[in-house]
Amino acid sequence: MAGKAVTQETVFALRETIARMEGRDNRSFDASDDRADEIQDAQEKRGRLSFGIDALDGALDGGLPLDGLTEIRSSAMKDAGAASGFALAIAALLQNRVDGLSVRQSGENELPILWIADRLAVLEAGMPYASGLQDFGIAPETFLHARPRKLEDALWLAEAAVASGAFAMTILEVSGNLKHFGLTESRRLSLRAKASGRHLVVLRHAGEQEASSAGFRFLIETAPAANRYLADGTMLGGSIGHSVFRLTLERSRNPALLSLSLEWNSHDRRFFVSTPVKSAGSNRPTAHSGARLSASVDRQGAQEKMGKRLAFHRAS
Amino acid sequence: MAEARAICPGVIVIDEDQAADQRLLEAVADWCDRYTPLVALEGRNGLFLDVTGCAHLVGGEACLLEDILKRLTQMGFEVRGAISSSPGLSWAVCRHGADRIVSDEDREDVLTPLPVAALRLDPKTVAALHKLGLKCVGDLMRTPRAPLVRRFGPEVLLRLDQARGDDEEAISPRRPVASLSAERRLAEPIQSEEDILFLTRQIAKSLLSGLEARGVGGRLFELVLFRVDGQVFRLPAGASRPLRDAERITALFSQRLAALQDLEAGFGFEILRINVLHHQPFENIQSDLAENDRRHLALSTFVDQVSARFGPNCLQTYQLRESHIPERAERFVPAAEALGRQMPKAPQMLSRSERPVRLFRVPEPLESFAAEIPDGPPTRFRWRRLTHQVARAEGPERLSPEWWLDDEAAATRDYFRLESTAGYRFWIFRKGLYERDAQQHWFMHGLFA
Repeated sequence: MAGKAVTQETVFALRETIARMEGRDNRSFDASDDRADEIQDAQEKRGRLSFGIDALDGALDGGLPLDGLTEIRSSAMKDAGAASGFALAIAALLQNRVDGLSVRQSGENELPILWIADRLAVLEAGMPYASGLQDFGIAPETFLHARPRKLEDALWLAEAAVASGAFAMTILEVSGNLKHFGLTESRRLSLRAKASGRHLVVLRHAGEQEASSAGFRFLIETAPAANRYLADGTMLGGSIGHSVFRLTLERSRNPALLSLSLEWNSHDRRFFVSTPVKSAGSNRPTAHSGARLSASVDRQGAQEKMGKRLAFHRAS
Repeated sequence: MAEARAICPGVIVIDEDQAADQRLLEAVADWCDRYTPLVALEGRNGLFLDVTGCAHLVGGEACLLEDILKRLTQMGFEVRGAISSSPGLSWAVCRHGADRIVSDEDREDVLTPLPVAALRLDPKTVAALHKLGLKCVGDLMRTPRAPLVRRFGPEVLLRLDQARGDDEEAISPRRPVASLSAERRLAEPIQSEEDILFLTRQIAKSLLSGLEARGVGGRLFELVLFRVDGQVFRLPAGASRPLRDAERITALFSQRLAALQDLEAGFGFEILRINVLHHQPFENIQSDLAENDRRHLALSTFVDQVSARFGPNCLQTYQLRESHIPERAERFVPAAEALGRQMPKAPQMLSRSERPVRLFRVPEPLESFAAEIPDGPPTRFRWRRLTHQVARAEGPERLSPEWWLDDEAAATRDYFRLESTAGYRFWIFRKGLYERDAQQHWFMHGLFA
């Protein structure tokens, strides 16, 4: 009897090891004894980054693993803005997360973010901009960027950064599918990330799908932005509000291809499921485009009309 | 030259290369660093070594002089040298006398028979002195001083006093003197990287007591490698915060060595030295929050690694500045620099529209069609051979040039946030005003997420 228990113990231990290696949810193995609690504790400690959206978190087994490699890909260079934005949004989410319990208020003790820039991408889409990062929800003081000359240098930087454990997230930007950044290299990075418990994002601009060691891969496309809300809750037509990303989860443990639109609220620093902008009128220029005026920013509004208001004007 | 060829038809003529000579002299000066850190160049073919307090390390002045002369002669130089208590006297003795050490007592005796030229005077003065019959230094010493000054200016007496040691003369060393340095001299030269790093660690350990005594940590280190054939390599490595730990100092140099491709060990290195070029007070932080402390340590270690390997400018961070011109509002600063000091808090600009996440350093010109007049956004525009149809626009946000920095010709910019029908968001601006400027140009300046 005792011998059997020991054997079972060994089997569970082995299963657990395998599951850990595969980064899989191993809660379902046994539910009977205290072993389950132990496993659950370990699971919690490893931690996952929840997006706060049930459909997405479900597909990701509870969120992005904090100690893994994730790939964010765009199919063309013109989506560079959206892909960078999504990567930065994840970084902002990570920075603001404290052991999954509460959102931190002050920016004092936030771990920094490292952006390893790619030469071509910088030429095509520019460098991350400090004031823009501020508006996007990341404190520029906690943002470091590196501009290595060669891909080997970039890989070395990514590996050293992840291994050092000093960064909340490391973003390695590459453009296209590179010969010297294949499965071996990504496996190496992913093992490093796993060992040090830090998140690494490979941001691939204008790249095809390829075999990699990333646990999850997102395809990011841009989508029309949300409208701005006015103080009374109505939409301001024709305005450009929060950024919206069209996101396709290409690679995950879940076989189904998940696709949804997410809206990033940089003030609350969280994602929302985006409701499509419905007002076709505001989305398309009218026949008499001359009469259409751009929404003003930082200017005084028109003078209020006197008298009794019978109906509102059309928003656009 | 023609005459020379006539005498010896097989003569080989090589033009004088002053720059190469200078480089050679500098290389010899580098080599002389092994004796003293204070080495100064003198003219085109001389070196001053301040060996005060260094001679006993090689076994006394006599041994020192003999060692220098012997080694340099073996390298194929024609060398002369002298040691005395003043640079002027040494110069005079080694150029116009024999290789010797002049003690303070027989300073006058040595100086008296030397020619006037030994006083480092310019040829014109020397010729004039010769005309007066003042041929050797002894004659000058016997002449009354006042008439000499009247006739030749203060130069002659200054040089005389310097040679006699009455006037203190400072030599200006080529390199700043390291605040601390430690070295190892090896009987058997080493070649491999592991050996170098092993010794580096040992030397770094011996630096520790010096750093502790001063209560400082090093910010800028230099590893000096003296190769057997006289070549000297200097590898500087900076740290983002004051360092004492031998392991971390070694780690700096191991990155530096790894990045270095052209370090030729040749027949090996015989002397290794670490200089602390720059140091700062070392804060003995009591680690109250272990977690926080470890993070800082991890970050600064990483920054040091990267700066040692790729140079300080590879890893940068932002510094926000008070400016409303977008490209001027940020500045890149090396992370190693930023870590050391408290970064100023980002200035809050309330009245501005949203900024893009990616910005072009240099705005890219674009072609716009059917822009509203006078200050509306374009309906369509072409950028990088793609035509974008504008669906929504916000703006303009008018940014005037900063007259306190720009000249008057700088044009006002009107910024627009645009969204194309496909959903791409751009930040473009128009340079110039419709009312004022004859031409307006449109530029792409950034991409929104």
